[in-house]
Amino acid sequence: MQVFLQTIVGGVSLGAVYALVALGFSLVYRTMGLVNFAHGNVVTVGAYLASTFYLSTRLPFALAMVVAIALTGVIGLVIERVLRPLENRDFDLMLIGTIGFGIVLDALIIMIWGATGRAVPSPVPSAPIELLGLRIRTYDLVVLAIAAVATVLLVLFLSRTKRGAAMQAVAMDHEAATAVGIHVGRSNAIAFMIGAGLAALAGGLVGPLLYVSPALGGALGIKGFAAAILGGFGSIPGAIVGGLAIGILDSFMAGHFQGYGELFTFLIFTVIIMVRPTGIFGERTVNRA
Amino acid sequence: MRKKLAVVAVVAAGAWFLPYGLDSYAIHVANVILIFAVLAIGLGLCMGVAGQVNLAQVAFFGVGAYATAILTTKAGLGFWVAAVLAIAATVAVGLVVGTPALRVQSHYLGIVTLGLALAFTNWVTNAQVSGGAEGISSIPGPALPGVDLDSEYLYYYLELIVFALALAFGLFLVRTRLGRRMRAMRDDSLAAGALGAEVPQLRMAAFLLASVYGGVGGVLYAGLIRYVAPESFGIANMFLLLGMVIIGGRQSLIGCVVGAVGLALVREGLVDHPTVAQVAYGAVVVLVVVFAPTGLAGLPARVRAALARRRQRQGAAARLGPFQPYPAAGSRSSGRPMLDVSGVTMQFRGLRALDEVSLTVSEGEIRGIVGPNGSGKTTLFNVVSGLYRPTAGHVRFRGQDMTGSRPYRLARAGMSRTFQNLRLFGDLTVEENVLVALDRSPTLASWRYLLGPISILRQDRALRRQAGDLLDRYGLTEFAQSPPRSLPYGIQRRVEIARAVAAAPSLLLLDEPAAGLNGEEVRQLSEIVRSIRDSGITVIVIEHNMGLVMSLCERITVLAGGRVIAEGEPADVAATPAVIEAYLGDSMSTDDLPSVPEVTA
Repeated sequence: MQVFLQTIVGGVSLGAVYALVALGFSLVYRTMGLVNFAHGNVVTVGAYLASTFYLSTRLPFALAMVVAIALTGVIGLVIERVLRPLENRDFDLMLIGTIGFGIVLDALIIMIWGATGRAVPSPVPSAPIELLGLRIRTYDLVVLAIAAVATVLLVLFLSRTKRGAAMQAVAMDHEAATAVGIHVGRSNAIAFMIGAGLAALAGGLVGPLLYVSPALGGALGIKGFAAAILGGFGSIPGAIVGGLAIGILDSFMAGHFQGYGELFTFLIFTVIIMVRPTGIFGERTVNRA
Repeated sequence: MRKKLAVVAVVAAGAWFLPYGLDSYAIHVANVILIFAVLAIGLGLCMGVAGQVNLAQVAFFGVGAYATAILTTKAGLGFWVAAVLAIAATVAVGLVVGTPALRVQSHYLGIVTLGLALAFTNWVTNAQVSGGAEGISSIPGPALPGVDLDSEYLYYYLELIVFALALAFGLFLVRTRLGRRMRAMRDDSLAAGALGAEVPQLRMAAFLLASVYGGVGGVLYAGLIRYVAPESFGIANMFLLLGMVIIGGRQSLIGCVVGAVGLALVREGLVDHPTVAQVAYGAVVVLVVVFAPTGLAGLPARVRAALARRRQRQGAAARLGPFQPYPAAGSRSSGRPMLDVSGVTMQFRGLRALDEVSLTVSEGEIRGIVGPNGSGKTTLFNVVSGLYRPTAGHVRFRGQDMTGSRPYRLARAGMSRTFQNLRLFGDLTVEENVLVALDRSPTLASWRYLLGPISILRQDRALRRQAGDLLDRYGLTEFAQSPPRSLPYGIQRRVEIARAVAAAPSLLLLDEPAAGLNGEEVRQLSEIVRSIRDSGITVIVIEHNMGLVMSLCERITVLAGGRVIAEGEPADVAATPAVIEAYLGDSMSTDDLPSVPEVTA
């Protein structure tokens, strides 16, 4: 029992990071129906930017994070602007376009920061808290708190602001949204920017948890995607639940199968997609004849 | 034709004499490039021709290479035996990777195949049998009596022959029945299914082909390099391969080969600056998808189109010929029920689109289905043709219960339909559109491709003759080689009807065939539909043009709010109070309107 609970606790903080990555995927997907395959690489960029500001310019962790989020958001804007001619026309091509961006970002990361990784020290005291016999790292709590705040802010933005409502409208019917005077391109750009910002947040937070290396985003990206699918693609609560579930699943898989953990995570994920492509909170889509 | 042969001869001769001008390093590069070209053809067949996103091609490559390595070093088999078994193993893996395609498409399929590819690298890095991260070295090479394949110069010829065969087979496939069906599925899987193309089998066939090419590439790689390690089959190489196919032009196999050779050469030129090369080809991929979605292979056609536009099309425009009626079949109206819908209900969340709909259509009838917008007419067609599975009720077709059968099964049982918003295969010619429908052979019969090209070609020629006759009858001969998109709307409508009839149905469903047609075209349509019926095909037509319905149909069924509110001969139905009420409304009350389902995000 103790081991069981400890495994769950170990998975939750990474799960929160997966949830942030999944939120970024979902936000872009619900707004424009596109899966951004460069999202994982954007996470890596965010992680490197945050750690660079934190380590070399001695900015406080929070401030380094904000700067990283802002800069990474710009990358999101660039991706959206370049691919805009394809929007609402050919999704397979857009998908390949984002893969192209992923390839470029991957190479740029290696050019700028080198092929080897770096370790980021935890910004809070590293002594774990003992609670009911469980050891909880303080930094895990920080990650959970920040992820929760970010989610609440996102939900408030989408439901309480005019801009957020416009994005919801575009998500439901981009043609009708155009007809009532919403600038669909701008709305998509904002979705992409927020998505990239969330990626940077996830990357920055994960720095002290994992090793920051060019391969970081690939793993996080696909786990985050799995989380989004599991919860129901495009659904905000789905992304949270899916992220935590994948984090805990990951933690168990690593415990039971060691090196093969990833293999089993992907196999389970494939089976889930086949059994229920719409995920837990997903909507049924109907083919229109 | 002669020009093409000359080009092929020159390229072949060039490839044959190439090694004489290369040093030992360059021949190694050429050998690697040929392997990439084989892989690219496989990926092109799966992604470009069949439209199945496949990010696991590099895993197929890896399975082929690793299986060869393991079977030769651990099981002690000879290279050739191991090669055959390795390709078989790759096909088995390919079928597993392809299974998700039966349920999901596009982005989802991309991420699942990518996940499975990552699972493969994770496995080989960890497993004992694959040598872990170090991989497997000193793989014994292939032996041929009298030919020393240890020499990379001679190995080049082995690869060249395999490559030429692989390319020729791919090209043959694309131009004949299986490839045509795959391309139809890529352009519109719904319409392809409604014409009898077995979509699930075609998707599996796409992955099967990709895995065969991947396996062949892997075997060649193991024989050439004699060493396998996980990083050769990672994501970086997958994306490189994808870049080759996209830049070259995914829908053209020649384009895939050109992309593979070109990108591999560029990468070789920048071998000291791998990251620069990566930035460059990533950027080119982005530029290609935005500005030239058909890749390098599509450029000649675009240039030609631009030139033609500048020259303002010389010569006379193609003209629609008159329809030549079918010879009337002897017996019609046997009175047996062709279609029997009983108690069908279709519920979408809160919206009940169909409510206990029952109707029977007899053989040889022309039945009209009318009703206000949103009354459930198209939903009824979608249930009957198998696109939707009804919430309750039964659909009997020619006496057999076919409720919820897959569309292609219904199509093969003799049902054919057109669509309200036209669903022609956009990247196929008009003739190919018709050929897809004419071809009634089961997809499983495609194993005959293994027997060689003769019988396939013979059948294809017979199909083309039939297509010619059909296009002639519908006056479409002059448009045979045009892409349907370039044609005026009225002609596209006629192409769709011709295509539906080409499937040799006993029941034809026409969904608003007169929408967007002018008066003369409606008159021709009426003549066509009557002649189709006289040839022995039962017709059901949804239509808003009441003039057409009244003159054409023997019986009319009226739907309103998802219910049948009247049925009978046109004159009687038009006088029914309920029908007048449904069309004109008896009051301003909104109680009886179907409630709008609440939209939840």
